[in-house]
Amino acid sequence: MDTCRCAGISRGAPILIGKLLLIVGAVVVWSCLTAAPAQAQAAAPPDTACKLCHVDNEGEITLPSGETIKLGVDLAPLSESVHGAHAAESVYCMDCHASRDRYRFPHQPNPAIDRAEFEADIAQNCERCHTTIESHNPGHLLAKDNPNLPGCTDCHGGHDVAPVASMAADPVGTCQGCHQTYADPVVQKTHEQIAANFSAEQTCQTCHSDVVLAEDALCKTCHSLLDGEAVLPSGETLPLHVDPQIIVDSVHGDREIQDVAYSPLQCTDCHREIQEQGFPHDPLTTGSLREWKLEKADLCGACHTDIAEKQPHDIHFAKIAEGNLDAATCTDCHGYHAVQPPNEPRQRISETCGACHSAINEQYAHSVHGAALLGEDNPDVPVCIDCHGVHGIEDPLTTQFRLNSPNLCAECHADEQLMAQYGISTDVFDTYVADFHGTTVMLFERQSPDQPVNTAVCYDCHGVHNILPATEENSQIMKENLLATCQQCHPDATANFSDAWTSHYRPSLEHNPLVYLVDLFYMIVIPVTVGGFALFIGTDVYRQLRERRGRKERD
Amino acid sequence: MSKHAREYFRFNVSHRIEHILLLLTFTVLTVTGIPQKYASAAWASGAIGLMGGIELTRQIHHVAAVLLMLAAIYHGGAVTYRVFVKRVRLTMMPGLQDVKDGFQAMGYNVGLVKTPPRMGRYNFGEKIEYWAVIWGTVIMVITGFMLWNPIATTKFLPGQAIPAAKAAHGAEAVLAALSIITWHAYHVHIKWFNRSMFTGSLTHEQMEEEHALELEEIEAGVEESPIPPAVMRRRLLVFYPAAIVISVTLLAAVYWFVTLEETAITTIPRQDAPVFVPITPTPEGGL
Repeated sequence: MDTCRCAGISRGAPILIGKLLLIVGAVVVWSCLTAAPAQAQAAAPPDTACKLCHVDNEGEITLPSGETIKLGVDLAPLSESVHGAHAAESVYCMDCHASRDRYRFPHQPNPAIDRAEFEADIAQNCERCHTTIESHNPGHLLAKDNPNLPGCTDCHGGHDVAPVASMAADPVGTCQGCHQTYADPVVQKTHEQIAANFSAEQTCQTCHSDVVLAEDALCKTCHSLLDGEAVLPSGETLPLHVDPQIIVDSVHGDREIQDVAYSPLQCTDCHREIQEQGFPHDPLTTGSLREWKLEKADLCGACHTDIAEKQPHDIHFAKIAEGNLDAATCTDCHGYHAVQPPNEPRQRISETCGACHSAINEQYAHSVHGAALLGEDNPDVPVCIDCHGVHGIEDPLTTQFRLNSPNLCAECHADEQLMAQYGISTDVFDTYVADFHGTTVMLFERQSPDQPVNTAVCYDCHGVHNILPATEENSQIMKENLLATCQQCHPDATANFSDAWTSHYRPSLEHNPLVYLVDLFYMIVIPVTVGGFALFIGTDVYRQLRERRGRKERD
Repeated sequence: MSKHAREYFRFNVSHRIEHILLLLTFTVLTVTGIPQKYASAAWASGAIGLMGGIELTRQIHHVAAVLLMLAAIYHGGAVTYRVFVKRVRLTMMPGLQDVKDGFQAMGYNVGLVKTPPRMGRYNFGEKIEYWAVIWGTVIMVITGFMLWNPIATTKFLPGQAIPAAKAAHGAEAVLAALSIITWHAYHVHIKWFNRSMFTGSLTHEQMEEEHALELEEIEAGVEESPIPPAVMRRRLLVFYPAAIVISVTLLAAVYWFVTLEETAITTIPRQDAPVFVPITPTPEGGL
């Protein structure tokens, strides 16, 4: 800076008219400065000469463009500005009105053809001290082809140059100088409304900056404040407000899962198109809210790849592919911004499914399983996903599902440890398979799982979602209701028919004694008969061997 | 020597047809039935798979069951003819002598008794087998009827009769199969191959060991006296109408057996729960 300050001294082409004495004085002072600048600074400010002319000057010059520039400078704003008396290092006239060739005394007329050029000339000199200017608001600086490109002084002012802090206090006011109309096409709201909610840290530049801020901060600046709605082509509206806290509190916030720390998801991790578009982003063009949600949910698989792999086998996704947009996608069950662990508490699972399958959930809630889950917080009863699976949910109306369903029930009902807690017999599966129904189903499942079969599986008698214990009055399998249940498939069945089913009891004198006695009869008759036969055959073989030996001996 | 080379006529064509019918139906019923009893065993479900699946296996079993019933009706007619028209001796009737013969045979086998029993046209072993088949068939037809027509059955019997019938049907099948594998196989295949059921006649040696009494009678020239044609005509005049009526009745019974009831519907019962019933429009927005 010092070298610049001395640059204009050795040259000179005095043309200025009047005030000769003052000029002579100035020349004297200037000469001293060239000899010993350090001392001279202490002795007299280097811009005294400028002030000789430019203070109390009422005149003005007219630029070729017709614009005028006042020649007089009010020093008060300058001294109060950041460049003024309080500056850590003094800034003098010629630091900004730098010499080039014309800044000798008396200097040449300003060659700028218009005010913009004049200011741009001055603004170039800002860089001499403010060397970080390249990274400063490059959004403006990059727009080289913009004839209205603002220079430093357009925002920061000239002699009354404003510090960033005071600009921040009125960020809109600063930008408003140029940007007078700024109703946002996306948010359909004026920036005054937006800015009215700005916090101390937020300025126009919070959003309008290419400086890499945390992207989230960018998005949240508007979306945490907005309370309007975007209107989709379908006429549906999408609230623009997003509470950032619910994302922080969600599973996608700061988390540790099994000792692995996950950094929180950024808005643009899911809203990727926004990242590509930059700010301000395009208005939403997706036809309807549902389509938009389906579009968004496609991105979940980008991280959750293991789940995405199961997707093609999932009934919901198959339905969506068929064009049924009502079918659930990721976010319908998990939520989107407020994603929480989907299975905590366990009841949450049936609530989630029940959001769409409310009729079924209602049945389930009153079933023996549902009542225990909802009423007793029972950890053993199945919730929806225990039977239907989760991610890759099978169509429960397929033959395969039907044929496999007894195995599904058996997973719990043949588990002795589990059933012992509830005093439920684990014979149910074996006795089922031993019966006509079970044998048939088991064989079909093994041999032709694709072939439809109407033989009863567990849920045909017990109910599907409305399973009740046989002791309940409304149970399909309660003694009084059993015949009606049988008649679903055996319409001609009469009163005794339902007793043909052994009710999962192994035959004993107490349960199904007739069967027990038949079994007992044959358990005795078969060994006795066959044993008797074998005994006789044994003796006959013995005789033959003896006779053969006898014949040999005779021979 | 010449005497020993002689073949002794034993079974006429009617006997042999009955046997072949029984042989075929019994085999098919056993092969298709036993795996059903043990369906959860790998070998059994494998066998059912080889037979074209459980549906086809059951159908084959049913067809064979009908054939067995027809064979039984035919046998009934043939026996009636022999007993009432030809008035043959009731050589298949079991008696105390058979029990004695059995014990004597066993005693002889182990060397406690010096002489073997001298037995008639049907010895105790054959009678056991014959009556076992009769007993077994009756059991299988009755229990088979119950399993085939459980709704009709439970109109008259308690429901428990059905699983009891199933237990009996299966256990009786095992008993029958084991009897064939032991008793029958030993006596006519292992001990020696008794071809009389196919060729109609038996060797002297076999006659001597198994039917000594009958052989003695044949050798002694005791032949059944021929029936005078007039008597024969008179008997047939009674036999044929009666046989036709009874046969038609029994055939109708078989038809009734097979078609009595439609036990179950043939469609698949569907659970008609409304699937998509959203509680409210899914909450939108900043959730």
